[in-house]
Amino acid sequence: MPPETKDKLATVKTLIAENRAEEAWSALKACVKPDDDFSLQHRYFKLFSKMPCERLGLLPVRVAFLASSTVDHFIEAFQFWMAVEGYSAQIFNNPFNTLEQTAADPGSALYAFKPDFIWIFTGYRDLDLAVRSGGSEALVREKIQENVERFTRLWQSIRQNSSAIILQNNADAPLVRPFGNLDGQAPWGCTNLYRQFNVALGMAADAGVVVLDIDHLSSEYGKARWCDERYWYHSKHAFALDASGFAAHQAACTIRACKGQAKKALVLDLDNTLWGGIIGDDGLDGLRLGHGTEGEAYVDFQRYVLALKNRGVILAICSKNEEENARLPFLKHPDMRIKLDDVAVFQANWDNKADNIREIARILNIGLDALVFVDDNPAERELIRQVLPMVAVPEMPQDPAEYIRALDCKKYFEMTAFSAEDAGRSTMYRENAQRAILQRQATNLDDYLQALNMQAISHTFDDFHLPRIAQLINKSNQFHLTTTRYSEAQIREIMKNPEYVCRYFKLKDRFGDNGLICVLILKKKDARILTVDTWVMSCRVLTRGMEEFVHNEIVKIARDLGLLMVEGCYLPTQKNGLVKTLYQKLDYELAEETATLSRWTLAISDDAVLRKTFIKPVSAY
Amino acid sequence: MTLTREEIRQRLEKVFQDVFDNDKIKLFETMTAEDLKEWDSLMHISLVVAVEKEFHVRLNAAEVGQLENVGAMLDLLARKNT
Repeated sequence: MPPETKDKLATVKTLIAENRAEEAWSALKACVKPDDDFSLQHRYFKLFSKMPCERLGLLPVRVAFLASSTVDHFIEAFQFWMAVEGYSAQIFNNPFNTLEQTAADPGSALYAFKPDFIWIFTGYRDLDLAVRSGGSEALVREKIQENVERFTRLWQSIRQNSSAIILQNNADAPLVRPFGNLDGQAPWGCTNLYRQFNVALGMAADAGVVVLDIDHLSSEYGKARWCDERYWYHSKHAFALDASGFAAHQAACTIRACKGQAKKALVLDLDNTLWGGIIGDDGLDGLRLGHGTEGEAYVDFQRYVLALKNRGVILAICSKNEEENARLPFLKHPDMRIKLDDVAVFQANWDNKADNIREIARILNIGLDALVFVDDNPAERELIRQVLPMVAVPEMPQDPAEYIRALDCKKYFEMTAFSAEDAGRSTMYRENAQRAILQRQATNLDDYLQALNMQAISHTFDDFHLPRIAQLINKSNQFHLTTTRYSEAQIREIMKNPEYVCRYFKLKDRFGDNGLICVLILKKKDARILTVDTWVMSCRVLTRGMEEFVHNEIVKIARDLGLLMVEGCYLPTQKNGLVKTLYQKLDYELAEETATLSRWTLAISDDAVLRKTFIKPVSAY
Repeated sequence: MTLTREEIRQRLEKVFQDVFDNDKIKLFETMTAEDLKEWDSLMHISLVVAVEKEFHVRLNAAEVGQLENVGAMLDLLARKNT
């Protein structure tokens, strides 16, 4: 162990002994890397397990392992890296190699554990991919299919007993190749069989199944390091113990993405971050951007940032500069890849960066913990780490050639599905930033809402929008009154059930389309009452009258069904305090209140229950 | 440079202390898993991996299982270090 790590860990130990858990945890997190060897990971876990977990602000997540190898040591590293990502992982570890039996048994301890995630922890050894050398493509397809079906059956079996998200390892294609290079060319070649299996497995995974790409993970780690047959023969460890932290970090980041808590926005410095040189001093012609060694590296970094933006990461600029200077390269430099239109918020001034980052979060209406801050200047990075510890600040290397990797290896922006909404998200946030500026200019709220010129569509559920509907129900935490979670399959059942009425809402205004931003599931409770089963809304459209618009829609639906009353419940969680008083604000009466629930009712005979909004209902826009 | 058996014992003791997170552990030749409550089959793996790192040795699969007592560990490390 390097002496400086030893010193740092000794400091952590002292802090724990002095009952300074929060400081100990920050100090420990600052010195750990996923790639650290197993002995270090073991020590990290030991130190972590001495801390009073309840003081670290971790969210509980229940993870059950269904493994075909020994995972006890991996689980330590996993619990540690889950904690680094903000979760307290409660673990259930099934006796290994009883996958099918356990999954098929509704009475098994697995289901009694009530997991949020079930991790089918398998690897290449679980597959039977023996195809005769020179075998036909049809034979290969059949073999791949057989193997994929083993897993799809396992998923089905789990689905019948649990609504947990299934994490499924793919196959870490082995290091050795009997046919050598040809194994990666011929369809029946060993390497190619695993590759084809992985592609087919990914395609078979529907919503609710997340394939963990351990084939990539093993390559990224280095296959020669990943494979350690000795510990397979000795104790059935499927991969090198030293890779535990690395694999655990990836899994924890994937779980964070499943929970809808991946980072959302990238805040970028300009000088020596997006281009080489200082625009205020060196001028447009003096920037290193586009040609030359560094110039090419900066262009590639911009391309990488753009690729993130195109998949939904919001971009913001935070630079100490004259605004005019800062904008100049975006407008005039031929080699700039990022354009002003790609940027949602542009903060260029001489104020300190912590204030600017707070302002960016405020304008975007997202939490500071959803931000990643990239700056070449170590002093700025340190300032943000000190003042805004919830903002992720990756250590950036000196050389711009290494910027992409420094950012990519952090796995901040993991995602588990990609929808049309994601592709357009950064545009939406830019439009929202413009709305925030209009709002500051408008003298009162009504003028502002009027000026927005809003139109909304209310529609019954359809197959086309199902993925987005499921995403909204399952990922939203704040504006979610009952925190119901429904898989796509469950939503389909609800759509068919005549007791339910379902609506999604889309909202558009003069700055652009907000997309599908609200989902409503109503249930006929009895001959008189319509119950709000699920009301979930995207926070980006808050306080624009959408709450009232949806409320009016609920009342209309209830009346059309000949019902007399609407009933809604609020089930408090740590995150949905935002809607605690929603029904109260809409003049519902409190019918029942306990620690875990408040139930509200509203008689709807009188038109006075309808609310004024500035949103025009339309059937299409 | 060849380490003496006593030097190996001292370094091994430090490894035990680190892995079990207990500075009070003292090693003796006949010590087995029976003598240390936490020394179970899972901790044994952690211990062996740490030993490999500390002494820059690579144990073969069979040796991993044969290190059931401190004396055997010292023998093996003395052999591997010459």
